[in-house]
Amino acid sequence: MKITKRKAFRTLAGPIWAENPISIQMLGICSALAVTVQLKTAIVMGMSMTFVVAFSSLIVSMMRNWVPRNIRILVELAVIATLVILADEFLRAYYYDISKQLSVFVGLIITNCIVMGRAEAFALSNPPHLAFIDGIGNGAGYGSVLVTVAFIRELFGSGKLFGIKIIPESFYASGYEDMGFMLLAPAAFIIIGLLVWLQRYLAGD
Amino acid sequence: MSDRSRSIIFASVLCLLCGALLTAASNGLKGIQQKNIMSDRKKNILKSVGLIQKQMQYSAAQIDQIYERNISQLLVDEKGDLLGENRDGTPKNKRGLPVYLYINRKGLIEAYIIPVDTRGLWGKILGYIAIKNDGVTITGFTVYQHSETPGLGGEIEQNWFQNNFVGKKIIGPSGAFASISIAKGKAADSAPKERYSNYVDGISGATLTGKFLTSGLKDILTNYEAVSVKFRNIRKYCKTNQNTPWCRR
Repeated sequence: MKITKRKAFRTLAGPIWAENPISIQMLGICSALAVTVQLKTAIVMGMSMTFVVAFSSLIVSMMRNWVPRNIRILVELAVIATLVILADEFLRAYYYDISKQLSVFVGLIITNCIVMGRAEAFALSNPPHLAFIDGIGNGAGYGSVLVTVAFIRELFGSGKLFGIKIIPESFYASGYEDMGFMLLAPAAFIIIGLLVWLQRYLAGD
Repeated sequence: MSDRSRSIIFASVLCLLCGALLTAASNGLKGIQQKNIMSDRKKNILKSVGLIQKQMQYSAAQIDQIYERNISQLLVDEKGDLLGENRDGTPKNKRGLPVYLYINRKGLIEAYIIPVDTRGLWGKILGYIAIKNDGVTITGFTVYQHSETPGLGGEIEQNWFQNNFVGKKIIGPSGAFASISIAKGKAADSAPKERYSNYVDGISGATLTGKFLTSGLKDILTNYEAVSVKFRNIRKYCKTNQNTPWCRR
């Protein structure tokens, strides 16, 4: 009992910090550049991603003893694609503005190597509950980097958080200016680079 | 059972399951999605005449309320005359051109709004262009649906691009129809000075989107030129046609 508990915890905590999909494994960088101009879109993207990874891992793991080996990649893709389209339809119905801002990027979760990677590397060889936890962990690890980057970009790029002005008018009056560069994709690249550096430094790597 | 037939059966069952799930989700959510799309269109109409702030959030009910209070829709023929209606209220000619009027609280027409439906580089560009009651000055341009490349042609949905249209004119210095064109690069660099008011700044890296939008807007504004001409000569026109909706004042 103690061991499984420890294993479940390790499965969850590993991808959030020590094996973070973005800052350690360097996966999913593309969408991390695109959707991190605002906190709101970053959070929705992180949540959609968590939903997709967790459930695709769960389903793939439940089927792992029946899936014929020769078509397993196709099966994984079909499961992932179905979940992504479900997430997209849901956003379009209940969060229309956000889904417009995310545009193609929700659909592109299908091509995000984190999802496929977890299905192949973990879900196929582990029981469903661990696979589900692993998915949540990876989604949260991905989402946490997205939110950190978006926090920095929105605060310094447009002086706002969640679309609400944070930097007081008096700052602007005394000559402060928003950093336009923060709104462009290269800024996300630099911030992610700095985060990787910081994490490796803290981990004593 | 052989490995091959097992694979085929597994794949077919999986496809059926996924297909059924997606069909159910798509059909179940269609109503709400459709409502969102309609509300988004109304929002874009209001945005094109500056009735809502670009940064603010509005609920669907608020949008409906502002829309009902200010906007009314008409169908006109190619001469800019109102289409007659059948007894049941449907227009006689189904190929009429829709025009939206922004009527202020005093009952005066402030602006008219023309739906934009044109080809882009990858697919259709749908939006609205609003022109002031002088029949010349653009008060706003919006896009609510497109398939242009995000970050390049996709910038047509951004405020910085759309704001460039405000105050531009659709007639040239001689008073003849000139449409509105998307410049290659900055309008100030690529257009002659006297034509500057007929050009908006282009998007770097999206020359083709600009070209398609330019020719699309030209076609659309040409179709509606008869309406614009009525507004340009509104005094003269209304002396003889007092009862038409254009002369509401």
